[in-house]
Amino acid sequence: MSNTETALPPADTPAFGKRLVDLAIEYNFIVIFLAVVVIATSLSSNFLTFTNIANLFQQAAVVGVVAIGMTFVILTGNIDLSVGSVVALCGMLVAVLMSHGFDPFVAVAITALVGTACGAGMGAISALAQVPSFIVTLAGLVSFRGITYLMTDGVPVSGLPQGFASISSTMIPLLPGFSLSSMGLIFVVLCIIAGLVLRFTVFGEYVFATGGNPEAARLSGLPTRFMITAVFAVSGFMAALGGILLTSRLRIGQPTAAQGLELDAIAAVVLGGTSLFGGRGGVLGTFFAVMLLQVLRNIFNLLGLGSFYQMTVTGIIIVAAILLNRFIDHRKGRG
Amino acid sequence: MTTDVLTVQQVSKKFPPNIIALESASLNVRAGEVHCLLGANGAGKSTLLKIIAGAFRPTDGSLLLDGKPVDLHSPSQAARLGISMIYQELDLVPQLTVEQNLFLGHAPGRFGLINHRERRERAAAALKRVGAHFKPEARVETLSVANQQLTAIARSLTMDAKIIIMDEPSASLNETELESVFKVIRELVRQGVAILYVSHRLGELREIGDRVTVLRGGRTIETFDVKSTGDGALVEAIIGKQRSLIERKTREPVTGDVVLRVNRLRGPEGLDISGLDVRWGEVVGLTGLNGSGRTSFLKSLFGANRFDGDIKLEGKSFHPRHPAHAIRSGIGLVPENRKTEGLVLHAPIYKNATLPSMRESWLTRHSLQKQKTAPVLKSLSTKYGRPEQAVVQLSGGNQQKVVLAKWIINGARVLLLDEPSRGLDIGAKADLYNLVDRLAREGAAVIVASSELDELYAACDTIWVFHEGRNIGKYDPSVADRDAILRATILGENHVQH
Repeated sequence: MSNTETALPPADTPAFGKRLVDLAIEYNFIVIFLAVVVIATSLSSNFLTFTNIANLFQQAAVVGVVAIGMTFVILTGNIDLSVGSVVALCGMLVAVLMSHGFDPFVAVAITALVGTACGAGMGAISALAQVPSFIVTLAGLVSFRGITYLMTDGVPVSGLPQGFASISSTMIPLLPGFSLSSMGLIFVVLCIIAGLVLRFTVFGEYVFATGGNPEAARLSGLPTRFMITAVFAVSGFMAALGGILLTSRLRIGQPTAAQGLELDAIAAVVLGGTSLFGGRGGVLGTFFAVMLLQVLRNIFNLLGLGSFYQMTVTGIIIVAAILLNRFIDHRKGRG
Repeated sequence: MTTDVLTVQQVSKKFPPNIIALESASLNVRAGEVHCLLGANGAGKSTLLKIIAGAFRPTDGSLLLDGKPVDLHSPSQAARLGISMIYQELDLVPQLTVEQNLFLGHAPGRFGLINHRERRERAAAALKRVGAHFKPEARVETLSVANQQLTAIARSLTMDAKIIIMDEPSASLNETELESVFKVIRELVRQGVAILYVSHRLGELREIGDRVTVLRGGRTIETFDVKSTGDGALVEAIIGKQRSLIERKTREPVTGDVVLRVNRLRGPEGLDISGLDVRWGEVVGLTGLNGSGRTSFLKSLFGANRFDGDIKLEGKSFHPRHPAHAIRSGIGLVPENRKTEGLVLHAPIYKNATLPSMRESWLTRHSLQKQKTAPVLKSLSTKYGRPEQAVVQLSGGNQQKVVLAKWIINGARVLLLDEPSRGLDIGAKADLYNLVDRLAREGAAVIVASSELDELYAACDTIWVFHEGRNIGKYDPSVADRDAILRATILGENHVQH
């Protein structure tokens, strides 16, 4: 080999080690997740058991489903603060409908429709009247919670049909000795569907383009206003599902449920590497971030540390993850 | 006795890698005069102003203030030394009051507390000097543009400015408003303040200026005494005598049918276009000063601006209300600013290139999108690594080709190019116009707006001069005199020769 050849590594096939590092940086949330899992396993022998894993999925499902919808919204550079209230509203609505004698299937369908309409309405106001979604959905957060209380004057609804509980808690065997509750499975399946939509549909492509550069998207003929409305409709639909799952698991319609859920969902999306400015990120990151936050909670429970510790450390981890992402952006010259 | 407040000596400014914005420009401004700065687009006016205001540091040369050399590091330092810059877009905070704006950053008081009474008194005094009839406690956003202009001037006075630089103050003012600003300028000059006034309107210069320095191609050509110099000599100095650098190719006469007929188009900011036709295979150039309505016109045709009018596309009435309508009718726009309007910068090349044409199906087929992108980018001789690369990593010229590829892939037959060569080097410019030529030969109809007449002169079949929102003259560059076209862009309607 001549000197000149050794001096210049071929540009088209970067070294395997460097590519691995690039991948680890790109998917840093997976690396962090795995690291936390290793720590959890070493701290408690109960952690890596099938029962505990199934529990993790079951507990993460409601926030997780909502966070999927939130990912769509944040990818367009918007934010949806109303999801916690929509979860409560829909959780109550489905309970009230069934207590009035509606068939569970009909009740679920109506509730999903109402949730979608709530989201689409806020999205349309934001897109057509050019109001920041922060404000519109803040109003939604307050009003939808109010409506939730108004439905039964703040009284929980119980006595739901037995079959309704099976939506969330049917155990589905996946491996010998390992079964996942249906709500955990619904979360995973929705993640996969959302991932496919973002990757393989024109709709998904338009979500990224609208968030990446709204003006360029508009001048490329994209229906940007419709896209804003649509992502909020998705978020509303997901929040409705979250509410249905929550009521199904609690076996009671609870109007005070899901307070502050929007912040958990936003934290998960951002922790998963989706940019708050829009255009960059995805649902894979959201999935791992939701699970990461759940594992953290799990560790604290296994160690017998109270929720005050959980809250403190969760906040610190979110800040650390955001700083890491800023650093990566900077390194890649994305300012 | 008149003394020089500001002397600019042989100042040069180079931007890496090889752009020379200024080359030994010299200028001297005397106390108590209105010194005008005149030059075509790209002559180096803005660069020179920014150097004087401390926003840029010169590569070479020196500045003297009251005869003493100064080295300006920042605009705030320049302001402290008495150099005050009033930008065209008036850097006032609209939500704050007039007095808050006047003393923003240098409010009277101590220990972080503001002495409101002193501020009110000094604000009132400054406003009185500029003859303002509004109150210091008025919020800036409630004022007319002319009164905002006065506020900006008053702000300079609160900083004891010796020299006030005004960058095209007339751009947003009507005639009576401008007259009131002129009155203030005359009063300030009488008090001994020097004004450096930038404009490309000769009429204003006659009314307000004492002396005028002409810039061309980054060099100061000459300083004239306004009263004793005729329009002819000034225009000569602005446009120069040298021939175009880009060779004009021999173009075959256009024989295609009329594809786009703009009988009448009235839009925002006084846009009023009539009788403009484009044929298949024709390259129509739009030239004019900044703000002459070129961009507005193209955006209207593309459905991105609201307008009234009567437009025929292939004989049928055409009134796009949304870019999507225009795109479906086979129109494509390469917008003025490719970074903010043309591209999703962090998205891959192939996704950008297929963004408008994706609507054809529900599912994305990434491999098909790449297949569609590759040959078009190749035919545009775009240099890129992989199609998955983020478009931001490409050079300006190659980015522009990706924008162009969007419309070619989408099958657009009418292309609207708004300042397509901005920010490109000479080679990339020539490359771009070769492409335009080829697309036209292949039958497309092309409208190119550019402030660089030389480019249009070399590449177009027809050139329209836009002036203050109207299309005032149509020229055939194969016979028309380049200087006649330039004269029309600067002087307007009455100087159109047919």
